[in-house]
Amino acid sequence: MLKVIACFKWVIDEADIRVDAPNRKLLLDRAAFKISPYDRNAVEEAMRLQEQHGASVTAVTVAPASAKNCLKDVLSRGPDRAVFVNDPSFADLDPARTTGLLAAAIGSFVEFDLILCGEGSSDLYAQQVGPALAEKLGIACATYVNKLTYVEGENRVIAERKLEEGIEVVSVPLPGLITVLPDINTPRIPSLKQVLGAAKKPVEQLTPERLGGMQAERLKTMGVVAATMERKRLRFGAGAEEIRSVVDALLKESAIG
Amino acid sequence: MHFKLTEEQELVRAGVREFCQKYVEPIAEEVDMEPRFPMENIKRLAEQDWCGIPYPTQYGGAGADYLTYTIVLEELSRACAATGFTLECQTSLASFPLFKFGTEEQKQKWLTPLCKGQILGSFALTEPGAGTDVAAGSTTAVLDGDSYVLNGTKMFISNAPVAGVFIIFASTDKSKGAKGLSAFIVPADTPGIKPGEHLNKMGIRGALTSEVVLKNCRIPKGNLLGGEGQGFKIAMMTLDGGRIGIAAQALGIAQAALDESIHYSKERVQFGKPISSFQAIQWMLADMATEVEASRFLTYHAAWCYDQGLPYSKEAAMAKLHAAETAARQTNRAIQIHGGIGFIKGHKVERLYRDAKITEIYEGTSEVMRMVISGSILR
Repeated sequence: MLKVIACFKWVIDEADIRVDAPNRKLLLDRAAFKISPYDRNAVEEAMRLQEQHGASVTAVTVAPASAKNCLKDVLSRGPDRAVFVNDPSFADLDPARTTGLLAAAIGSFVEFDLILCGEGSSDLYAQQVGPALAEKLGIACATYVNKLTYVEGENRVIAERKLEEGIEVVSVPLPGLITVLPDINTPRIPSLKQVLGAAKKPVEQLTPERLGGMQAERLKTMGVVAATMERKRLRFGAGAEEIRSVVDALLKESAIG
Repeated sequence: MHFKLTEEQELVRAGVREFCQKYVEPIAEEVDMEPRFPMENIKRLAEQDWCGIPYPTQYGGAGADYLTYTIVLEELSRACAATGFTLECQTSLASFPLFKFGTEEQKQKWLTPLCKGQILGSFALTEPGAGTDVAAGSTTAVLDGDSYVLNGTKMFISNAPVAGVFIIFASTDKSKGAKGLSAFIVPADTPGIKPGEHLNKMGIRGALTSEVVLKNCRIPKGNLLGGEGQGFKIAMMTLDGGRIGIAAQALGIAQAALDESIHYSKERVQFGKPISSFQAIQWMLADMATEVEASRFLTYHAAWCYDQGLPYSKEAAMAKLHAAETAARQTNRAIQIHGGIGFIKGHKVERLYRDAKITEIYEGTSEVMRMVISGSILR
């Protein structure tokens, strides 16, 4: 049976972020968390493979211990079980540490043929964890995938990669890793019975001790402030003779060169 | 004491919000304006297991609690009060009497398809001459051999034009007044029962409401729900629970009015500033938010009492009274904040204002709620 892992990240719901205007600080005290949207596509794609090919699906995340609410959320979306790599210190991990932890967890504790990740997370969108994880595990990888087909009996998947120049179709031998784009599928909303059934599914807890420690930090967050947009409040007429003044204003602001 | 929803309740709320954004909100205006019944979304509600939320899985329900059901109604009504109300009719009015008073056979036959959303249900109590005065009804049920024969006219019956089954209240003994009232299960395809024209309502226009005419409508004796003379009790108990549902609907409407008002007041610029920077608007919004939150706590508390097996009649009446009057007041305020644009058809607050009114009337008027509450505290 095809064994699929869907990796996901528990992120702050950006809709809940408020900004303290005077100092541009982000106010997160009332913010809820959610599964990063592209990771929902990864989970949905795993479930699609389960429906079509009878795959087993394991959801894996690296998160602070306080993020345990992510488990029922992800399990309500269909996976058979979850692996929760957690520690109180796992907040705001940089992509390299997340990758190291995922590789250690998956390499030693989870059997798989195929790993699915979202193309990037909705908070950092570094797009590093998927490809770096494949590298660490020594498996094939395809990114920017918006269509995925499992070829039964041949132990490979065919992935369509949506690139700037067009669509590239690649054959990826398994075990392999795929990062998915949001248009690969439309994640379903869990039914009430799925939500109520999530608590009954098995969860494996993995802590840093069981994974042989973790790598040193490579990135340090110095601070986070809200971006601001200063408006010039210039008005221009719509007539042809006004074009010159629009261009002059744009040149003055170095908006065009 | 704690004020935290369970993880499951939070997940359901997030799911309903997403559902509404995707399916309900985009057609809510059209459903109101045409008006038309949003059948496509009612089918989707069934796929999400939301048609029989608080009923056991053995009858096709989801086996969840009443608070979860309340949250679903609140969120649906926030997007479209007509959709929320259709589900409330299904769950509180049509399914509850079967769940509480039905025999095992009746539950299997009727509660199961209702919970699975395979058919819609309708609760027919009100008559042209019997609104709050339930006992004044003139519909009769006469035992004739192995059947009851029903005659009469029911009025303002929700879901009637699309119902697969009706719970009909009729008198089996006129001399006993309320105590002569009985409840019957009447399949919609029974000869002699006919829903009338869809009534052209002021609000919740996407929910279907009509009269129901019973003319020598013959049903098997086994379709009597509970015993003869139990109808009044069945109706009152059903409405007690239904009031939590209407409170949730009103809460959703009021929350939507607040959402729209916050959004608009930040965008609308007058005298060079967003109107949200004026204290007159700020105070209106503060009052709205406070009253909405109070409605929420009353409503959730009533649902919690139900879930705990505690008495909930007074709590449900308080929740409905406060939430309905809040909805009516706050949708009015929302239009005030919007000014002229809020008075124009096609703007959500205009619809909310019309949708709110009925919550002060159906499943017990605000006056009846005050009677229930005072009756309870003066006992």
